[in-house]
Amino acid sequence: MSALPQPPIAPPGPWSFPIGQHDQLSNGVEVITYPLPGQYVIAAHLIMDLPLSAEDREREGVATICARALDEGTRSHPGETFAEHLETEGAGLGIEVSLAGLQTILDVPASHLAAALELFAEAVIEPELTDADVRRHVQLRLAEIEQARANSSQTANLEFRAAIFDPSSRASRMNGGEPETLTGLTPDAVRAFHAGGFGPRGATLIMAGDFADDPVELAEATLGRWQNPHQSHPAQPRIGPAQQKSILVHRPGAVQADVRLGGFGIDRLDPRWPGISVASYAVGGAFLSRLNAVLREEKGYTYGVRMQFSPLRRGGSYAVQGSFRTDVAIDALVEVRRLMDLHGAPITADEVDDAVAYFTGVTPLRYATADGVADQTATEVLAGLGESYVDRNLAALQATTPESATEAYESLVDIEGLTLVVVGDADRLADPLRAAGYPDLVVT
Amino acid sequence: MTSAPATLRYPIEQHRLDNGLRVIASPDHVAPSVAVNLWYGVGSRHEEPGRTGFAHLFEHVMFQGSAQVPSGHHMALMQAAGASVNATTWFDRTNYFETLPTGGLDLALWLEADRLGSLLDALTQENLDNQREVVKEEKRQRYDNVPYGDVMERLISLTFPPDHPYGHTTIGSMADLDAATLADVGAFFRRHYLPNNAVLTIAGDIEPEDAFTRAQTYFGALPAGPLSPSPRDDPMPPLAPVDDLPRMETSGLVPAEAVYLSWRLPARNAPEFDALDLLFGVLGHGQTSRLHQRLVREAELAESASANCMGLIGGNSYGFAYARARDGVAVEELEVALLAEVEALLRDGPTEVELRRGKAQYERHWLHELAAIDSRADALGEHATLLGDPHLINTRLADVNAVGMDGIAAAAAAWFGPDRRGTLIYRKDQP
Repeated sequence: MSALPQPPIAPPGPWSFPIGQHDQLSNGVEVITYPLPGQYVIAAHLIMDLPLSAEDREREGVATICARALDEGTRSHPGETFAEHLETEGAGLGIEVSLAGLQTILDVPASHLAAALELFAEAVIEPELTDADVRRHVQLRLAEIEQARANSSQTANLEFRAAIFDPSSRASRMNGGEPETLTGLTPDAVRAFHAGGFGPRGATLIMAGDFADDPVELAEATLGRWQNPHQSHPAQPRIGPAQQKSILVHRPGAVQADVRLGGFGIDRLDPRWPGISVASYAVGGAFLSRLNAVLREEKGYTYGVRMQFSPLRRGGSYAVQGSFRTDVAIDALVEVRRLMDLHGAPITADEVDDAVAYFTGVTPLRYATADGVADQTATEVLAGLGESYVDRNLAALQATTPESATEAYESLVDIEGLTLVVVGDADRLADPLRAAGYPDLVVT
Repeated sequence: MTSAPATLRYPIEQHRLDNGLRVIASPDHVAPSVAVNLWYGVGSRHEEPGRTGFAHLFEHVMFQGSAQVPSGHHMALMQAAGASVNATTWFDRTNYFETLPTGGLDLALWLEADRLGSLLDALTQENLDNQREVVKEEKRQRYDNVPYGDVMERLISLTFPPDHPYGHTTIGSMADLDAATLADVGAFFRRHYLPNNAVLTIAGDIEPEDAFTRAQTYFGALPAGPLSPSPRDDPMPPLAPVDDLPRMETSGLVPAEAVYLSWRLPARNAPEFDALDLLFGVLGHGQTSRLHQRLVREAELAESASANCMGLIGGNSYGFAYARARDGVAVEELEVALLAEVEALLRDGPTEVELRRGKAQYERHWLHELAAIDSRADALGEHATLLGDPHLINTRLADVNAVGMDGIAAAAAAWFGPDRRGTLIYRKDQP
């Protein structure tokens, strides 16, 4: 072929996150709408001010069971007739339970929004929450936990969160509850949780898409009737770090070791967030990141290894995670630790440029769809980030320097204090791990 | 304000370069981004016996550098241009795609053309060995080290003969991956990676004429090559109880026992396929599906249950249904209940409401698929490569909506039901 030279890149054009229109329903529900031409599937997120601290310690999981049973029937559309109506409108209903709050999510073609929003409101305001539905969802949740425990990667994630957050933190336990609290969960407790927790105070409805009708009028006609004089006022959960530890979960005969190495992190409001975003991209986010370039592309030890900071509303966590065949797992772990250490190898100007260009480039596309815009706005509401967060964060990323990225990283990643979780064959891994610098390893 | 249109009107223009490369442009100026998407007409069904996993291994090798691009730098240069990049391999095809700010379009096309034109110049034994290890790690991570990770492979082997193009999965076998030589890989590239065996879609913030000009600039000089004969694509009949229906039992360290049923179905371009797709939706898509309602919600025999149709182009497609047993429920009892639902659906067909619901759900999924330029570009490449016409994305909803009860009954009678199934029973090993 004729060898054309590598073409230059023209700088990206201007872009900013769409500006939402703010309204309030008569019952106080905040409404944020984004008219997006050509987005024929409307995304609607209802965020409730219902952090997981609203659950009693001995009834953890009640929020999840309540949320999952919302679409099992309403007083107006009992039992399976509810879902039949909803699905016949071409709609899909989802829920998301996070530490900071609970979301119900509706996706529906624009021409069906009015009918679907009415059903959506029914599910939130007047779910049946029958005994049978609650008991079944508890059993299904227990089965789901068994499936997660049988999965190496999910087990590693569960063990890691339990290891890095203070045991008194709700964050140290599964959002959906653990078997010991789920087993005793009664239908009355679930109905009481709904009665005391669900209400319009502090709720936000976000809608995005190519609307056929005025979405705020539709919201008033449906969610506008929502009242709950008994709604409680739960505080946000407190989250703190745990002591450093090293854990090996025995999985007899496993062909790979699932590794998590990291610790307690920060949230998006921390001034170091842009710096750590850039630094962690360079160390373990990019395809040719320091970690992936060596462990995948040079050594072929893994399908992929990455480093990620996961923010909560306040505080957060970070981890390097990867899955390595058992016979190279120790070597891989030694390399991971070496590459995570920026001492003598600070973040470079090229790494900053690449990271900033990546974040700047992928952002417009991520928010070009109705669900992208609505989902991001929901994240911002749940984390209390304030207006135009995406634009402000991009500007802050673009102002990051090699020094600020390196400083953020070194202030957060304490190489000697990392918590380790490995899920793999302990018969082959325990002694070599102890010898490789983890003498306090606990095998479970 | 507008409402969701009954007929979609995404703009689509096509152009064919002299070397046979089909180029599709679909402008959309909502965001300052473009999607570049290449579909190559090569997937696991084009692999030869003893060479399974080649198409997928090759997908990895395509990121190992070419004449002007060092190993790994395709991905790195694209990410530094603000791109999301990836590639996937499936039975019928391999696709490569990047979505990025419009100012990086030339670089994306240059990178794609450089590897299509000169991949073998850069391929070394070391690169091949490295990616072979990476692919083996992928196999361990995604299949060998997860519960039920071998189900797909087992179901495929129940449904198609071992030497059939669909008789093995894309990941292939460790032994075949180990046996792959540099010469094998080179031959595979020369056979399949040709401009006349590819569709290039450029969607987003660019006008069609501009897209075609740039495609010509970067791909125009690449030579066409002889196309290999297609693998067999004669439709096989449904599974039938000539002697016995295929049945397999296996066990593993799984938390719940499970039963899987599989069917050999007509190819996705056959007139019955959409009818069967809707039928499988009624059986097992979503909360109102028969399997969820009866097995999970009412009888409480299953912790989960669903059904799905996988559309393929080489003579046949494939469909399956499954249910995972609740604690204390015998898998035999679950199998009976699952079969009863299959039998009832075959005998009575879906209700009018079920059919309407299935179409409404399909509409949302399809509109969602086309909502972003990257998945829209992929849909365009898919319909051009496998069905010969990218405009089908605009008429897809009308085609699905045209399916009637008679069509479903006829397709079900020909292809569906207990007498045409394969069965896999997954039992629990005691740890």
